[in-house]
Amino acid sequence: MVTHMTRIGVYVCHCGLNIAGVVDVKVVADYAKELSDVAVAKDYVYMCSEPGQKMIQEDVKKHKLDRVVIATCSPKMNEDTFRKAVAEAGLNPYLVEIVNLREQVSWPHNHEPQAATEKAKALVRMGVARVKQSEPLQRRTVAVDKHVLVLGGGIAGIQASLDLGNAGFQVYLVEKSPTIGGRMAQLDKTFPTLDCSACILTPRMVDVAKHSNVTLFTNAEVTDVKGYVGNYEVTVQRNPRYVDETKCVGCELCSQVCPVKVPDRFNEGLSQARAISVYSPHAVPKVAFIDRNYCLRLKTGKKDVCGKCTTACEAKAIDFGQQPEAVQLKVGGIVLAVGSTVFDASALAEFGYGRFPNVLSNMEFERISDASGPTGGKIVSPRMGKEPKSIVFVQCVGSRDKRFHEYCCRVGCMVTLKQAILTREKLGEDVNVYVCYNDLRSFGKGYEEFYTRARDLNIDFVGGLPSDIRMNADGSLYFDVFECGTGKLLEMRADMVVLANGLVPNEDLGKINELFHASRSADGFLLEAHPKLRPLECSTAGVFLAGACQGPKDIPDTVAQASGAAAKVIDLLSKGEIELEPLKAVVDEDLCSGCRVCESLCPFSAVEMKKEDESGESVLRAEVVEAMCQGCGLCSAACPTGAIKMQQYTSKQVLVQVEAACGDRSLNGGNHS
Amino acid sequence: MSNTKPNLESKNKILTKLHDKQLVNCFQCIKCTSGCTALKLLELKPHEIEKLVNLGFIDELASSDIIWTCATCLKCVQRCPQKASPYHLVMALRNLAVEREAKVPEAFMKAVSQILEIGLAEDYRKITTRTMETFDREALKLPKISVPKESFQTVFMKALEER
Repeated sequence: MVTHMTRIGVYVCHCGLNIAGVVDVKVVADYAKELSDVAVAKDYVYMCSEPGQKMIQEDVKKHKLDRVVIATCSPKMNEDTFRKAVAEAGLNPYLVEIVNLREQVSWPHNHEPQAATEKAKALVRMGVARVKQSEPLQRRTVAVDKHVLVLGGGIAGIQASLDLGNAGFQVYLVEKSPTIGGRMAQLDKTFPTLDCSACILTPRMVDVAKHSNVTLFTNAEVTDVKGYVGNYEVTVQRNPRYVDETKCVGCELCSQVCPVKVPDRFNEGLSQARAISVYSPHAVPKVAFIDRNYCLRLKTGKKDVCGKCTTACEAKAIDFGQQPEAVQLKVGGIVLAVGSTVFDASALAEFGYGRFPNVLSNMEFERISDASGPTGGKIVSPRMGKEPKSIVFVQCVGSRDKRFHEYCCRVGCMVTLKQAILTREKLGEDVNVYVCYNDLRSFGKGYEEFYTRARDLNIDFVGGLPSDIRMNADGSLYFDVFECGTGKLLEMRADMVVLANGLVPNEDLGKINELFHASRSADGFLLEAHPKLRPLECSTAGVFLAGACQGPKDIPDTVAQASGAAAKVIDLLSKGEIELEPLKAVVDEDLCSGCRVCESLCPFSAVEMKKEDESGESVLRAEVVEAMCQGCGLCSAACPTGAIKMQQYTSKQVLVQVEAACGDRSLNGGNHS
Repeated sequence: MSNTKPNLESKNKILTKLHDKQLVNCFQCIKCTSGCTALKLLELKPHEIEKLVNLGFIDELASSDIIWTCATCLKCVQRCPQKASPYHLVMALRNLAVEREAKVPEAFMKAVSQILEIGLAEDYRKITTRTMETFDREALKLPKISVPKESFQTVFMKALEER
């Protein structure tokens, strides 16, 4: 294909000592000089720095280079930077080849410098062979849809929706529960300021529901996602709540007559709601819903059963005939804000959660402490009805624990400090408040001061965790803790023990992973595109992450990340069009035999067969629909005649690399054309 | 309080006796000591064993009486959030102590000779009920326990000598 003389520049980066500390970069550069068609080869301490880039640009002009190989860190880091740099010097950006000498050579082989240098030479040789087969490509521009899907209606989703709506974008906010608000709606106070959670959240919930640019879908889930960055087609299924949202006024007359008691999910099952109820006192929308697993009529499927709510409802809002309804949405960007869930401590047999009525989770404590909770905000044991004289908080339950979750939950310490302070404030000086901890982490703004405040309030911190918790006949609890500061074994007595359960990945993340191709990290949370430089982006282009679905987070961090994700969406969609990488399949019509193998294989339905008239005969030819092609290369690998090719990954480009890898032959060629 | 220096050579010796490095990977949450069966009467503090091994204070541990107090109840192994194991360290330290011919408590020596003689670490006992009646195996019509054969004793002694 390449007919004229090729002039290649090879640049070997030291990356400080990251590469040069292991690989002999001078030897690699000298070796590259000897490869055929290499006009210039240099090493430099930081190729990505301004002088480094400038050196490459000047060489392109001075030595009339038409291909460039840069042996440096992973292309994931700086490929774009180098492409831009050579483009400024007048070269097509796709005539640059990145050879990874850091992640693939110096880091994994740091104990074998000689072998690493040999491997570096081989990789450079392969890069040079490959770049000779590269062809100039043009980026394509596609129009983007300015609608945005925000999935999850907790504080993260609410914040992202408000920011995007205020910036003029149309937002679809989809929430699985019958109300928005998420975990934050269940909290009593927030650390470290002790703001009332509902007081700061409820206005936002109302704002987002009323926002002219935000369309709210509650009781709904995403069932299908098609398309690509800028042009996604999302199917949202609205699950029936069996109550007409437009008619219900939230008076709860229906709940008063409903005979079926169900565990109240909003109160963590500490109280009972009815089969028809409004989810919480500050639910948005404030509309009743029927739990079909409990409702007598829906469970039996008989039209003459019960129906008391229908009679009680003055607005005639109850509609047992509602069916799931699919809504098709076109969006340009997606924000995933599906949150996390709280660790179930019953898995930890030694603490007796689930067996002992006075061992509570920290989330259950929130509901007890909250004025809208089952005890009206009085700190009493919800299952025994007694006010505790002694209360012990136990830290790191289910997190920092290799048996369950190895990571630090990031909120447990501060939640406990808050709950200990609330206990002291509500129950007074006579109550003993203990915190059994391992390390106490108060890392955020104002957090250490909050810890000081807790100690000022005479809360006792015990350096050590209990091995197990035991129960007396009267339901009170006892256990030993070895206190490391004093070297004494404390015999603890408690009327209530609160476990600092950590945050764990939402059970829906498996489904999210399938729908959005959103990768997950080892801890189970959604994986960001880069831990330092692209923390808000998902590995799928056009999909962004906000809040605790990406990792355990407190409210300030969640809100900050949500606003950040909204800004990234605005950045993506504001111009109305985006440039896409030219990584797509192309068909050589002369070679295509119309066998339809590619059509049957393409997972994105991007190959269409068209009829063509060829000297009076009608023949089939494959055609790639550019906008649909994701560049996976399946078609190219399967094509029996080699008619369909992946740009940038042609068979020729790959084969010359294989050949160069197998031997030193590329010293005099590797030239297949 | 006396000054002591860690002995990293001894530490490496202990590490080679452990099947998993994780067993010394303690972060001092003290859960093990809070629940240790041998703490109240015998003052065994498993978290201290972990830390002392970690820092290389092996020699004083290997010659101490404390490593022989572990009741091997395995609660510390079961409940450790870091999958560390004071129990495994104690066993490694006991083996080191035997190698160094440190004084082994009499009960352990007795257990060895009992294994040789009757095949059990503990001799079987008579039981006494609340009504002060005493029974032995014969009275309960339980079968007799056979005494180990000579071949077992030979193999057992050989194994002991090989250590």
